[in-house]
Amino acid sequence: MLKVEHVTKYYGENKAVDDLSFQVEDGKIFGLLGVNGAGKTTTFRMIIGLLEPTSGKITLNGKPIDYSVTDTIGFLTEERSLLTKLTVKEQIIYYGTLKGMKEESILKKLDEWLERFHITEYKERKIKELSKGNQQKVQFISAVINDPKLLILDEPFSGLDPINVEMFMDAIKDFKKKGSSIIFSSHRMEHVEMFCESLVILVKGKSVLEGELKQIKKDFRRKNIHIKGDVSIPNLKQLKGVLEVEENADEIIVKISDDSYINDVFDEVKKGTDITEFSVEDPSLNEIFLSKVGETYEG
Amino acid sequence: MKAKLKFLTKQSLDKKIKTKWFKGVNIFLLLLFILLVNIDRVIAVFGGDFESEITIYVEDELNVYDEFNMTFESLSESLGEAKNYQVTKNKKNLEELKTELNEENDAIIVHLLEDETNYMRAEIISYDDIGTVTTQLISAAINSVKSNYAATESGLTNEQILALTSPVEVSTVLTNPDIENKEGQDIVAAGVMLIFILPCFFLILMLVQMIGAEVNDEKSTRSMEIIISNVSPKVHFLSKIFASTLFVVIQGVLLLLYGVIAVVIRNLIGGTALSAMSGDVTKELTEILTLVQDTGVFSLLLRGLPIILILFLLSFVAYAIVAGVLASMTTSIEDFQQLQTPIMLIIMIGYYLAIMAVQFDGSLFIEIASYIPMLSFLLSPVLYMIGQITIWELAISTVIMAVFTWIIFKYGLRIYKVGILNYSSSKLWRKMFKSLKAKK
Repeated sequence: MLKVEHVTKYYGENKAVDDLSFQVEDGKIFGLLGVNGAGKTTTFRMIIGLLEPTSGKITLNGKPIDYSVTDTIGFLTEERSLLTKLTVKEQIIYYGTLKGMKEESILKKLDEWLERFHITEYKERKIKELSKGNQQKVQFISAVINDPKLLILDEPFSGLDPINVEMFMDAIKDFKKKGSSIIFSSHRMEHVEMFCESLVILVKGKSVLEGELKQIKKDFRRKNIHIKGDVSIPNLKQLKGVLEVEENADEIIVKISDDSYINDVFDEVKKGTDITEFSVEDPSLNEIFLSKVGETYEG
Repeated sequence: MKAKLKFLTKQSLDKKIKTKWFKGVNIFLLLLFILLVNIDRVIAVFGGDFESEITIYVEDELNVYDEFNMTFESLSESLGEAKNYQVTKNKKNLEELKTELNEENDAIIVHLLEDETNYMRAEIISYDDIGTVTTQLISAAINSVKSNYAATESGLTNEQILALTSPVEVSTVLTNPDIENKEGQDIVAAGVMLIFILPCFFLILMLVQMIGAEVNDEKSTRSMEIIISNVSPKVHFLSKIFASTLFVVIQGVLLLLYGVIAVVIRNLIGGTALSAMSGDVTKELTEILTLVQDTGVFSLLLRGLPIILILFLLSFVAYAIVAGVLASMTTSIEDFQQLQTPIMLIIMIGYYLAIMAVQFDGSLFIEIASYIPMLSFLLSPVLYMIGQITIWELAISTVIMAVFTWIIFKYGLRIYKVGILNYSSSKLWRKMFKSLKAKK
């Protein structure tokens, strides 16, 4: 289990991370979200031991992060962190050996992963010769070759087509099943929503929202009401508590600021005709994120 | 961590050695060495005008032909002139001989005449320009003949003439009983040392470039983050230092080996027809080596060699540390290339001072500079070889270099730790100075 306790990090006068606390249990996927510059990379760098927190502590299975535990961590960086002049095989041996693995074991695992990702023919090819998507697969393999107990995935689906995204998702789910703790960061909220059981949203290094995803959604008072039928849109807009009315091809979505306004909307809808649907749904994570971050998300 | 250090060092060394470029460049270097050492033979194989025999007809009005012939041959041989000359006394009519000179016939006529005031004058007659060397050889022979001719004409006996023309015997006497008289040793010794230093100079330039490129490659691809999350910056730094030092040692040994191969090849072909074409140069080479050996340079070099090698090794390590630290501070290879310019200048200053050491005998400035780390590997060995410093002073330079290397590693590592994960050039120097104050 990874525990981040009251961690603060200063760069000179600038506070990059402010009293951040969270924990990732074994077999769980945790989302670390925030706009660019929110402090995600600094947090990742502290977790893998590249940076020392100014205050607070980080432990993995009760041990502080140092070179005695980093062999059990896998890190997939947002940018390509591959030595492009090496071949796929050389690269994986390089990173695997740095994780304390024996070459024989690295090669065995490499063959399994190459087969799983359908890129066996690229084993002896130089990384610079591969496509962006295939480079991302190699980067993923380099992060998981040591069967990490803690897996940090920063934008893992970058440069991948939907089929390969699916392939990565299956692999990540397998690590979850094996009991690895996974920290996941992505600008694609649907991916986070699909994966993460709990999350934290950072704004300027400070946590503005944290907890179980289900609970966050439940606690979030805003709701979306989906309506199908002929309803007076101007009347809906005039109702108290209505934030926005969105007209789609076959439905109307009414966004309300609080679930106490549901009945008022329902009363107005009853005045309409041909009503075939009236359903109340939780908002998407993207909406929650935007409302918390308070600015247009830079995707 | 030891296994990881070993792995990183091997990986870094392999990156430099197991490349097509390394193999290609070394094959090229070997061929260049062989070519350089056997250049006279290569020239001889391709041939040219120098191969043709030049006939020198002597029109002798003073009866000095035999002396001219002997003197000319002796001068030609001592100067190692590649051309073949055939000196012969003219038996034809001079005017008729002149008309025979044409493009096909490049013979030379030396007409020796009597002169009322200067005893002798001469004319060198040829169809085409005969070149400076031939002209000087003929002139030198004529001048030598003239001295003897003038002495004979003045009524001197043969003994007197011999005494007059023989060189003055000069003997050097040193009153200091502690030192041996080794004439010319300083220049020869400095020459021998500079031959050793020159490859080191180039090897250090290579070393600095390689570290810069490697660290920047790892930084720019962000693979540095993955590496440093698994091994400490100290291990990473050490691996770079070890690998690059090992590389320059391997390359240095290879260069030495190429030199040996080139000389062996020269000796192997020494007895063939090529030797006949180019003259007995192998013999000349042996004579030069004997001459160098006679000055006691080799025994002096052997005595100081262990210390000199340690000094070289420490200097390689020190330059690797400095290059690693500078590379860690930069964010691109272009920035590093700018930052490495002072290193190049330091090496160049050291090299020029080493060359000037013989000229400015006993220079206090050069002696002080020989103790300065980063310069000492260029200066101390030369000063030692020319007898300006003792083996103990050479050892002191080495100890200073060792202490300096340890200090720059200790403080350089602090900068390296911060630098390798720094991707911004904003407030760079402030960050680096701040990192120097860090305790660990």
